[in-house]
Amino acid sequence: MLDIVLAPLALEPKTFNVGDKVRVSVSFKYVVGVNTTVKLYAGPYYTNIFGKHMVTSCVGEADVSLIAASTPTEQTATVDCILIPKANGGIDNGTYGLRVWIEGTKAVAEQDNIIIVSGNPGGVTDMFSAMMPMLMMLMMIGMLMPMIQGMSEGTEE
Amino acid sequence: MELKTLALDLGVLEVPHRNGGDPPEYAAGWYIDPQTGMRIFYDPNTQKFYTMAGGVYIPLGYMNPAPKQVTLAIGDRLKITMSFKYSGPAITGATCYYSVGVYGTFGFDEKLVGQNSKSIPQYTTPTEVTDSYTFTIPTNVGTDWDDIYCKIYGGSPGVPQNLFGYENALVIVGIQPTITEFKIADFAKV
Repeated sequence: MLDIVLAPLALEPKTFNVGDKVRVSVSFKYVVGVNTTVKLYAGPYYTNIFGKHMVTSCVGEADVSLIAASTPTEQTATVDCILIPKANGGIDNGTYGLRVWIEGTKAVAEQDNIIIVSGNPGGVTDMFSAMMPMLMMLMMIGMLMPMIQGMSEGTEE
Repeated sequence: MELKTLALDLGVLEVPHRNGGDPPEYAAGWYIDPQTGMRIFYDPNTQKFYTMAGGVYIPLGYMNPAPKQVTLAIGDRLKITMSFKYSGPAITGATCYYSVGVYGTFGFDEKLVGQNSKSIPQYTTPTEVTDSYTFTIPTNVGTDWDDIYCKIYGGSPGVPQNLFGYENALVIVGIQPTITEFKIADFAKV
């Protein structure tokens, strides 16, 4: 009889709406010779053929104080990141990974496909916003053409 | 601050015989290592192969995995003791050399060095000789200063250079934190 135990994913995917604030909790061990403060960052990333890319507008940061410790010491910390809507230069609907890191150290943790984002307006509104520059151009041409025609008629006289 | 010690054994040392003795297995010169394709230099005086790194000849295989790790913080003192067995004439002014640094692809980057002048009496049978040096860990210590080596050379009559070192022998508790077991515990909307 096969006795196989499938290990669960470290983190289950969760669904968020744009505008949500996501609180990320991390744990680690550290040693350091003097009291110090490090910067903890967290944010969503997407993956394409060129690799992994952070959605920089949604990256949050937090200061974490570390008390001098010469033996490995347990520490937890949290950092918030806000899923800024795409219309404001933020994140699009879709599935993203989550990366957390501490500046100036080798501490990085990430997991693919655990942040599912929805809530950005789509459909007709999206099409309208995409076509807006073209419509503006047509309206300007529509306004300018009669003026150009009027000028050329005046020249013939 | 705490004093911590590391001991390195250089094995058996002998002053080269001026008359007679075993001839070297190879002539002095450059060879190609058939396994790695690397250019290596053979020195018949020390009967060792060397690689060239940053202009410094480094014997092959002189660095070894550390048998233990010593955790050090800024201001701690690290005492490194070398030991070897010696038989031969009395030696005056041999140099016992110690270094803490970073061992990598390009050799040993020495960050801290210290040395003692050592005189050894005449021994007719292999006798254990020790020497030690104590470093104080400076405030600018890097968390990657985790390798050590020591060597003995020179004096009158001259001792052939003998080196021995340990990789990853030290865990440095420096100004920059060293972080391990970093993981995402949870994430949720707030």
